[in-house]
Amino acid sequence: MESNYTYKDPSTNNVITKKDLNKMTWRSLFLQASFNYERMQAGGWLYGLLPGLKKIHKNKEDLSNSMNMHMEFFNTHPFLVTFIMGIVIAMEERKEEPDTIRAVKVATMGPLGGIGDAICWLTLLPIASGIGASMAIKGNIAGPFIFLIIFNAIHFVLRFGLMNYGYSTGVSAVKQLGEQTKAFSRAASIVGLTVVGALVASYISLGTPVVITAGGADIKLQAEVLDQIMPKLLPALYTFWMYKLLKKDYSPIVLILLTVVIGIVGRLLTIL
Amino acid sequence: MLGKSLLIALWAGIAGIDLFNGLFHIHRPVFTGMIVGLILGDMKTGLITGATLELIWMGAVPLAGAQPPNVVIGGIVGTAFAILTKQDPKVAVGIAVPFAVAVQGAITLIFTAFSPVMHKADEYAKNTDIKGIERINYLGMLILFIFYAIIAFLPVYFGAEAAESVVAKMPEWLIGGLEVAGGIMPAIGFAMLLKIMYKKEYMAFLIIGFVLVAYFELPILGVALLGLAISLYDYYSNKIKGKGSHRKEARTNGI
Repeated sequence: MESNYTYKDPSTNNVITKKDLNKMTWRSLFLQASFNYERMQAGGWLYGLLPGLKKIHKNKEDLSNSMNMHMEFFNTHPFLVTFIMGIVIAMEERKEEPDTIRAVKVATMGPLGGIGDAICWLTLLPIASGIGASMAIKGNIAGPFIFLIIFNAIHFVLRFGLMNYGYSTGVSAVKQLGEQTKAFSRAASIVGLTVVGALVASYISLGTPVVITAGGADIKLQAEVLDQIMPKLLPALYTFWMYKLLKKDYSPIVLILLTVVIGIVGRLLTIL
Repeated sequence: MLGKSLLIALWAGIAGIDLFNGLFHIHRPVFTGMIVGLILGDMKTGLITGATLELIWMGAVPLAGAQPPNVVIGGIVGTAFAILTKQDPKVAVGIAVPFAVAVQGAITLIFTAFSPVMHKADEYAKNTDIKGIERINYLGMLILFIFYAIIAFLPVYFGAEAAESVVAKMPEWLIGGLEVAGGIMPAIGFAMLLKIMYKKEYMAFLIIGFVLVAYFELPILGVALLGLAISLYDYYSNKIKGKGSHRKEARTNGI
């Protein structure tokens, strides 16, 4: 990957307008349009940023480099994503190093995913749909509409508000950074790698239902053996194995197919 | 019936896109139930069944990326069955849920099959082909639309009994296996991130993040804040030591 990319056109101008931010916010609705297991939201993420990137990077090589970096794996909450978009566009505008921008993306996507789940799926949705459904269940036709109005009022306030907030946060942050981008890149990478470690332990569900019967005693392999060695042992090992295979230049697609086969065979043998 | 089935298929396609894109939440059963009721000419049953299914799917949200039984198909097909078979909404639920689980398995396959397209996207990105990137995203949504439209059309057109027997014939190992694979899949994305970002000097932080969740079950935000605390400490202690010139980073280029 291109680390320490030097921009062909290092000039930094303030080209992003409020209108651009709004345009990108609308495009953020398509974050998951090309969702897949290899890059997750990367395609839609790039789709959302394109109007901004196009305006910022007048040099073709700079734009190409930036677009390639934004095609890398990305996954966060589909509402709160605009906050990261705002920060990233501010950094792109100031022509920060791609390594630094990537580190910021990775450091923020995990926590925002968790916060978004709590706000949107566990609070907003149950409240709005609870109100709507309680009316509809009595045959009241206003129910479904009340649900949509409550839900989307907050949905769009979050989306547009966070884009603007993210951008202004990003602008003031990169101004303060000045010459210290290297140190900042290191700091962001530390947070990023800490978050990746946390993601491995929380977002991969892999366990075994195997019960070993030894001398009349039933031993649950997952709870009584594996978890005793280390909780989340299997997710950690699986990620490490995937990492090793990627370093041996296996294509992610091979790894995805391998995972599908493992899932099916594992279920057939009732070990997964 | 063909016309009505086609209308339901059209609506399912739109709702299927909304589940992932737009997210106006017109795909929730409380709303789709009403639309299906409107199409099939029994608004009241549509509203009531939709609301019943809504409550069932209330906790079934895509937490931490794990996909619950498909809410779009569950809501639409469940409501359609309730109206067409004149069953109690609760019976419709019994048919809708296993059907929705099977559909979610098929979606795992779509997300797998779409992965190779990303390499085409890399090529477009390299050539700054903005239209190409946009086309790939529109293609993704078109595939979802067609998939949902077909999946909703078949059971409504051929009837609840036919749908039930098809679902019953699907082997558990296939649907269950796809579900297991879907749960493991994020590991590949994390491994790709590690391939790009990992350096030996950062190993400590990777371990810290893992341990905080695996052993201490901290939420991600808590872990991120601790990571931030470490990086602030690191930043300022380097500043004091180096006084302006930062210590040389060990760039182990195993990346």
